[in-house]
Amino acid sequence: MIGRWRRASIRARLTAWYTAVLTLMLVIYAGATFVAVRHEFRERFDEGLHEDFEAAEESLVRTADGGIAWTADRHHEGDAEYRVAQEVWSPTGEELYRSDASLALPRVTPPATGEYRYETVMAKGGRWRTVTAMHSVGGMPVVLRIARPEERLRTQLQEILLVLVLGLPLVAALAGISGYLLARRALAPIDHLASEARRITAERLHEPLSVPNEHDEIGRLAAVINDTFARLESSFDQLRRFTADASHELRTPLALIRGVGEVGLGESRTPAEYRETIGSMLEEVDRLTQLVDTLLRLSHGDAGTIRVVRERVDLAQLTSDVISSLGILAEERKQGLILAAPEPAIVSIDRLVVREAITNVIDNAIKYSPQESNIDVSIRAIDDHAVLTVADEGPGIPAEHRARIFDRFFRVDEGRSRDRGGTGLGLAIAKWAVEINGGHIAVDQRPHGGSVFRITLPLSRVAIIADQAAHHRVGG
Amino acid sequence: MRVLVVEDERKLAQVLASALQAEHYDVVVAPTGEDGFYHANAEVFDLVVLDLMLPGRGGLEILQTLRNRHIQTPVLILTARDGIEDRVLGLDLGADDYLVKPFALPELLARIRALLRRGRPSEVLRLKAADLEVDMVTRCATRGDRMLDLTPREFELLEYLLRHHGHLVSREMLAREVWKEPRRATPLDNVIDVQMARLRKKVDPDGEPRLIHTVRGVGFVLKENEP
Repeated sequence: MIGRWRRASIRARLTAWYTAVLTLMLVIYAGATFVAVRHEFRERFDEGLHEDFEAAEESLVRTADGGIAWTADRHHEGDAEYRVAQEVWSPTGEELYRSDASLALPRVTPPATGEYRYETVMAKGGRWRTVTAMHSVGGMPVVLRIARPEERLRTQLQEILLVLVLGLPLVAALAGISGYLLARRALAPIDHLASEARRITAERLHEPLSVPNEHDEIGRLAAVINDTFARLESSFDQLRRFTADASHELRTPLALIRGVGEVGLGESRTPAEYRETIGSMLEEVDRLTQLVDTLLRLSHGDAGTIRVVRERVDLAQLTSDVISSLGILAEERKQGLILAAPEPAIVSIDRLVVREAITNVIDNAIKYSPQESNIDVSIRAIDDHAVLTVADEGPGIPAEHRARIFDRFFRVDEGRSRDRGGTGLGLAIAKWAVEINGGHIAVDQRPHGGSVFRITLPLSRVAIIADQAAHHRVGG
Repeated sequence: MRVLVVEDERKLAQVLASALQAEHYDVVVAPTGEDGFYHANAEVFDLVVLDLMLPGRGGLEILQTLRNRHIQTPVLILTARDGIEDRVLGLDLGADDYLVKPFALPELLARIRALLRRGRPSEVLRLKAADLEVDMVTRCATRGDRMLDLTPREFELLEYLLRHHGHLVSREMLAREVWKEPRRATPLDNVIDVQMARLRKKVDPDGEPRLIHTVRGVGFVLKENEP
């Protein structure tokens, strides 16, 4: 049952809710109306009874022999519906007069002076409404009782109730139908949107959904969907570009292996020459292996399946390790590789992953800086972040390429970097490595040429607190 | 020394067999899991090279059965790049070492030598090759009567080459064993090459017979004569 409810369309559920709520409200409304009407009818009935009572009082006189007599005709004689019965009793409870003996109302008990007692009693197979009060006829105190059958009142009320009860399902059904129509009308734009969205495929993402009114809810929904499609399209583009680039990068070493092998087989050579040929092929195999390894790692990174093991690391120490490892490369090129890290910067990171990022960025700087230039590496704590900058005196990166420098396989100068042994993935790996550790990486131009890479990582909170505590101790 | 190679990929099995035979091992190749299982149970080997991805009986199953029967032959497992779980499982089940495909042959041979050496104390305090001598206690290196002035890194590099005297050493092995980097990367390759060039300048100055050789596309080898 619940399962079926969940599977039902929004339209059906809206209709059901609408009908149920409306019916409930109608029931409450009808109930309240009936109660009010009944109250009003009863009031009026009692008022009529009171008028009858007053009429009876006026027409009642004392006869000369001390008896009771009527001066006027009793009204509504013969009208069964409006039959009025009058009774006169002595205060001691003796019957003095009865207009209809067959009525056989119970004996009267005298009410207090000035009190009009209204009662409903059973008599002659029906309910009678009576009013009883003291009255004085020519100085003789008597108890006067007027009675009227309630039958007509009850019939009227029953008719009203019948109309209300019979009308309710009808109105509820009407509510259901109109609710269904309303829901269908309200949901029609969504159906339309869905059928439009259905024709959009990966190749046709650039065709936006038509937005009839961009300010209503549907319009906003369509705008959101269009926005999502636009983003999807851009990631598809990126993917396409990446696939093209990756195939190119993979094909280059493959072509080399094949070429070198074919040439090597061409004519007979000395063993030394063969060794050269095979070695050259193996070099390309090595390059391919590294490329595939790196790509796999990036794809693991994208899929989020690489586990980051965070520990508290001094970024200054880590960078110093990297520099002492890569220093020999700068030395070869007679470059000055200088680290300025005045104080430790404790960050909570995966040591190996971030180390790779720093290695790639510094290696990049060494590769692209001219001989005998300086590469300045500095680490500072700014607010709650550790900022690592690597500034070189190389040619810098043209502004139009800066946004894409961290893209996979992006190269400012196609031919040159391959010769230097790069895979074209170093900075992409660096970006991924920094970001997975909660930091970010950016590149800028230095005022006097050269580029500056900036890696920002959040300082370890424990370190910040400890630092503050230390300051506090020193201060206090 | 008898080595069992359980590998279903025919070409790779051939390569492994000829590489091991070149190192004077007695090699038996089992092309299926069933075969490997039969050989490992019926014969005695000094070492088993076991591919985990096998048709029929899987490598892990063979390993488990061997260990359940208390056959303690060293086992080196070969796994694909993504089989991290397999690798961990393999080591848990009693494998002695693992290599991830694609691997370099020098690396495989070095691992096999290490496994076969295991259990025998090999604390060598003096390493020698031709007239090159390295004293591990005083950390002094000499060639003939010439004292070599080495940085700590160069010393470690030379020591590693000497320990694998006559055998090829790949950049990957150097990165891991000498530089202690878990992953080989392009920058490190460059560092290794530069470091090796410097070491060679000190060990093999012009005029003396060369000891350190570069084998293009593979790595380096320390050897008395040309490879």
